[in-house]
Amino acid sequence: MDRRTFLWNWGGGLGGVALAHLLAGEGRGATGVHHKPKAKRVVQLFMSGAASQCDTFDYKPLLIKKAGEAFDPGEKVELFQSNPGVVMPSPWGWKQHGQCGKWISDLLPHTAGCVDDIAFVHSLLAKSNVHGPATFMQNTGFILPGFPSAGAWISYALGSESKDLPEFVVLPDPRGMPPNGAANWSAGFLPAAHQATTIRAGTPTPIYDLHAPASAKFINADSEREGLSLLEKVNRQHLAGREGDSRLEARIASYEMAARLQLSAPQVLDLNGESEATRKLYGLDSEITADMGRRCLTARRLLERGVRFVQVWSGADNGFPRRNWDSHENLEKDHGELGTALDKPVAGLIKDLKSRGMLEDTVVYWTTEFGRMPCSQGSLGRDHNPFGFTSWFAGGGFKGGVSYGATDAWSYKAVEKPVYCYDLHATLLHLLGLDHTRLSYRHNGIDRRLTDVHGEVIREIVS
Amino acid sequence: MLDTSMRLVVVLFAMGLLAHAEPVSYARQVRPVLAERCLVCHSERNPAGKLSLGSVAAMAKGGVSGPALVAGSPERSLLVQSLKGDKPRMPKSGAALSGQQVALLERWIAEGAKDDAAGAAPEVWWSLKPLRKPAVPGAGHPVDAFLRQRLSEAGLAASPEAGRRTLIRRLYLDLHGLPPSLEEIEAFVADRSPRAYEDLVDRLLASPRYGERWARHWLDVIHYGESHGYDKDKPRRNAWPYRDWAIEALNSDKPYAEFIREQVAGDVLYPANPKAYVATGFLAAGPWDFVGHQELKEGLTDKDNTRSLDRDDVVATVVSSFSSMTAHCARCHDHKFDPIPQQDYYNLQAVFAGVDRAETPFDDDPTVHQKRQGLLRAKRDIQLRLQPYLDKVELASTPEIVKLDSSIQDAGLLIVHMGEPKTDADRAKKKMLEERRVEDRKRRQELVDAIVGPETYAAIERIKAEFVPVDAELAKLPKPRLVYRATGFFTRMGNFRPPLEPRPVTVLARGNVRSPLGPASPGALTCVSGVNAKFTASSEEGQRRAALANWIADGRNVLTWRSVVNRVWHYHFGAGIVDTPSDFGRMGSKPTHPELLDWMAAWFRDEAGGSMKQLHRLLVTSAAYRQSSKNREDGARVDADNRLLWRMNRGRLEAESVRDAMLAIAGKLDLTIGGPSVEMFFFKDDHSPVYDYARFDPDAAGAYRRSIYRFLVRSVPDPFMERLDCPDPSVLTAKRSTTITAIQALALLNNPFVLRMAEHFAERAGTAEQAVKLAFGREATAAERELYGAYAATHGMVNLCRLLFNTNEFLFVD
Repeated sequence: MDRRTFLWNWGGGLGGVALAHLLAGEGRGATGVHHKPKAKRVVQLFMSGAASQCDTFDYKPLLIKKAGEAFDPGEKVELFQSNPGVVMPSPWGWKQHGQCGKWISDLLPHTAGCVDDIAFVHSLLAKSNVHGPATFMQNTGFILPGFPSAGAWISYALGSESKDLPEFVVLPDPRGMPPNGAANWSAGFLPAAHQATTIRAGTPTPIYDLHAPASAKFINADSEREGLSLLEKVNRQHLAGREGDSRLEARIASYEMAARLQLSAPQVLDLNGESEATRKLYGLDSEITADMGRRCLTARRLLERGVRFVQVWSGADNGFPRRNWDSHENLEKDHGELGTALDKPVAGLIKDLKSRGMLEDTVVYWTTEFGRMPCSQGSLGRDHNPFGFTSWFAGGGFKGGVSYGATDAWSYKAVEKPVYCYDLHATLLHLLGLDHTRLSYRHNGIDRRLTDVHGEVIREIVS
Repeated sequence: MLDTSMRLVVVLFAMGLLAHAEPVSYARQVRPVLAERCLVCHSERNPAGKLSLGSVAAMAKGGVSGPALVAGSPERSLLVQSLKGDKPRMPKSGAALSGQQVALLERWIAEGAKDDAAGAAPEVWWSLKPLRKPAVPGAGHPVDAFLRQRLSEAGLAASPEAGRRTLIRRLYLDLHGLPPSLEEIEAFVADRSPRAYEDLVDRLLASPRYGERWARHWLDVIHYGESHGYDKDKPRRNAWPYRDWAIEALNSDKPYAEFIREQVAGDVLYPANPKAYVATGFLAAGPWDFVGHQELKEGLTDKDNTRSLDRDDVVATVVSSFSSMTAHCARCHDHKFDPIPQQDYYNLQAVFAGVDRAETPFDDDPTVHQKRQGLLRAKRDIQLRLQPYLDKVELASTPEIVKLDSSIQDAGLLIVHMGEPKTDADRAKKKMLEERRVEDRKRRQELVDAIVGPETYAAIERIKAEFVPVDAELAKLPKPRLVYRATGFFTRMGNFRPPLEPRPVTVLARGNVRSPLGPASPGALTCVSGVNAKFTASSEEGQRRAALANWIADGRNVLTWRSVVNRVWHYHFGAGIVDTPSDFGRMGSKPTHPELLDWMAAWFRDEAGGSMKQLHRLLVTSAAYRQSSKNREDGARVDADNRLLWRMNRGRLEAESVRDAMLAIAGKLDLTIGGPSVEMFFFKDDHSPVYDYARFDPDAAGAYRRSIYRFLVRSVPDPFMERLDCPDPSVLTAKRSTTITAIQALALLNNPFVLRMAEHFAERAGTAEQAVKLAFGREATAAERELYGAYAATHGMVNLCRLLFNTNEFLFVD
């Protein structure tokens, strides 16, 4: 049991050790850093439903050359729900971008403008071809429910840099929850203090219970101020004769923190102070990009104020009408809409972080649960592909303009330097100053890690 | 200079003075590395290159390339040489071993490759040692006698008994999960009988509130939830009969052996008892991957993986809950620390090879129940003969059929994607697609018919006809109830089909379903001595579960009896004698009071006959339980975390108790027992259903029920409860954590439920004085009357009541 868990669970017997300083967010977590970090914070962009690699970042001329021919990679192809169709080139054209000359599809012209800041990993594998388990895997490293997400692990390890805001924030897609729901950002068996705070940006009540509902007319500013001061007084009186129980003191401190959160949260969520140029940069001026733009801009504001890990979702569950990247039926239409909504805000986020000098120690991490097949499903869609797909990183010590690993000529299977999310997580933790093999928590007989028993730091993409 | 310091190091090393100079242990350090990375290919069972690395002797003997191990000489030991270099020869797959791991192996060999695992008498871990009932060391209450011994060794004494108000609140919240009413407090305080406390304990244990409280603990341990989890997190609207079974089992004080048998194999061992049938809901308590089971076709890797992991969840649940062992650690390789070979783990999987999780019918009337179950077994037998013919039709395939399938699916996808067509062009397109699909299906049928031939259809018709009289009998029976449980026979849903009989289970290298090593046969943990862990590989899956149920419930199974008394102790005292209640292995904690634990385990099994209520009575009547929780400097200095129990532990109310206590104090608590769970959220069915807690009226029908009757969603847990450390229903939770956060404070201040209850509480109390009495069970002091009275006068009673719900006095139990 580490010191912090010990304090949380058994604070009762510690005689004189107050928890107040831990709650006050002095910036240390259960482990603290293992080595000098390059990154301090992370924003993860999660494409729910499986974004296609061969329509975005994984350019394969063979698909254009063999368009319409039978898909024959030389082995039996096992698909999620269909039989392999014909070779289907991307409905979008491809161009080279940046100093590095990276080929990017015309679906994402703005992101293409940032390629010199991005490290692409093209050789990802997933351990499941099913959304639920695979989405769990990208979030928690396990294909089963009940494990802590990367954000919870990082919050557990490093604590907060903010006195007023939570350590781990999630901005779900307003269209709904992704597959697995809130379990994707669960704290699992880690103490509940590390669970994510969900912010429904742009709604009247973005944080659950931040304030009493307007219908509670008996509450006003005076009743609140005097009430909290009275509460502190009686809690202090209760403490007399119960000295040494740091949990009691921690609860007193928790109301001070709550009050600070009430003040700071509305400020951080209020985008009105942002300049017209910034709002444009994120696409807030267009209906198509406004939602994603608002959430990416909110993410920057949260990171700026010390939030450790922000997760932004593009896409909800796999239902109909299509509201995520699961384009089994009509890829051009569905990827087209989601890609366009995503492209400018994400590019805006990278550029904005860069211009503020924050990209140096902020990681932007783009990922999805698996990829899609280079052959068609039916006539216009693509089925799942767990054998080779793309994630990318920008900032926080990642190299720019590099590509790591590769799929075969079809974009079907990772053949060069295949990796799992374990390796991505190991690399991410490494840049945050954490050794992924030492960040563990004993649960049900096993020292659990975000990287299970796997994971290698991918040195080639780290500067 | 350098030379001198080097020499010093050598000297220190030789004298064993450097920290790392302790010799490397084969059992604790070397074997885990080998188990994880090498034994998959080089085990006794599966010696690649005739080489087994399963024991020190086998390594010395070696394989086709000669000995792998030469004690004292890492240079001549192939074991380490093959791991070294830029491109090490071993392991064949995965990353190379780390420099640290290789150095460890080298040092062990250099030190003589000592075998501390297989010595003349291998050390038996405490939890697996024979269970003997030690003599009670002294007079008085046995629990106190054992505790006193350790306390006096540490120069400590127990604390004085707590006051009566504290005691009754402690007992109520512990045994009922609810605070006592004012009348109950006053009556107890005024009770002059010398048996006042004991009588109170008896009254509390006789109340149905007891089962509602303690069943919740058990539901934590077994990760009971009422939706599947994963993608498409559908509600399980018929899981609750199991929850009611658990409450009733505790209230009726079911002997623990029966408690075990009914949950693992109640349908088989007690066929005349419908309640025992419901008890097997236990095996289905955990999450279930809807898409993997219901949408994936037979034969896909992910399909097999889904099934294997589903059995893994059942094995982990059963073994960690009843035996406090981490058998699930042996899925990918032999357990690294405990004597659980992979074979044992897969033998446990083989016990559950014939079941899936599904709803099945049952009847409260035992006669009707037996009749229905008999008829369903008859249907199962018919289905078993029918299935091969159905498979022949279903699996018939030619390249043309494959093409047609794609075309049929394509039409379906495009139609779904189109939604309701809005233009003429769309309508025409939809019509075209529908027509194409009809044509394709017709052609497909013709092709299949040609392959399977009319004799297949004739056989199908012939066998299906056998269902008719059975179905007629079933139709005569009254409407059954449903329960979500483990079963081998249910109505097929999509690609989720009943196993009918046990599926083959094999040992899997690295847990990979495409790397079978050898067959598994039903069995249990071989490390438990004195109980036969090899079962008959019956084709009746129920017999396998019955054998496991009897193995666990066996009086000689030392793990079972130690596990349960420690769990019960944990909940009463706030920490177990073993502080890892679901792990009695080498990675778990050791008991602080091993003799006490064994005494209790033997007493519970033999004298108490497995009666939980007697066990509760034993523990809560001890002086240890009744002592004050006040901090003491002498105790804090010697034993800061109170492992010796020189005082009682103070606890924070659990999420359910916070909610139930608010309802009780507000005068709204609805004590209706049992029945379907209350959905305390807005629900909308969809691909992934919507569960929205913000859109729920805290005064809605059923909203005042106790928290154990809440509907428990896995994908989206109730944020209010979650913030109070209510565990994720997908996690096997042996003990809850207590966290304190700003977000939690906000929930207690502002959640609509709290505010609404504050309104009801204010209405009930009327005055500040009465509110203090109701919330804390005591008179207000003069100072409080003034402070609270003034606040209520200015801001109203509701604000005061909201504040009282936020006090530490309300939220903690002394």
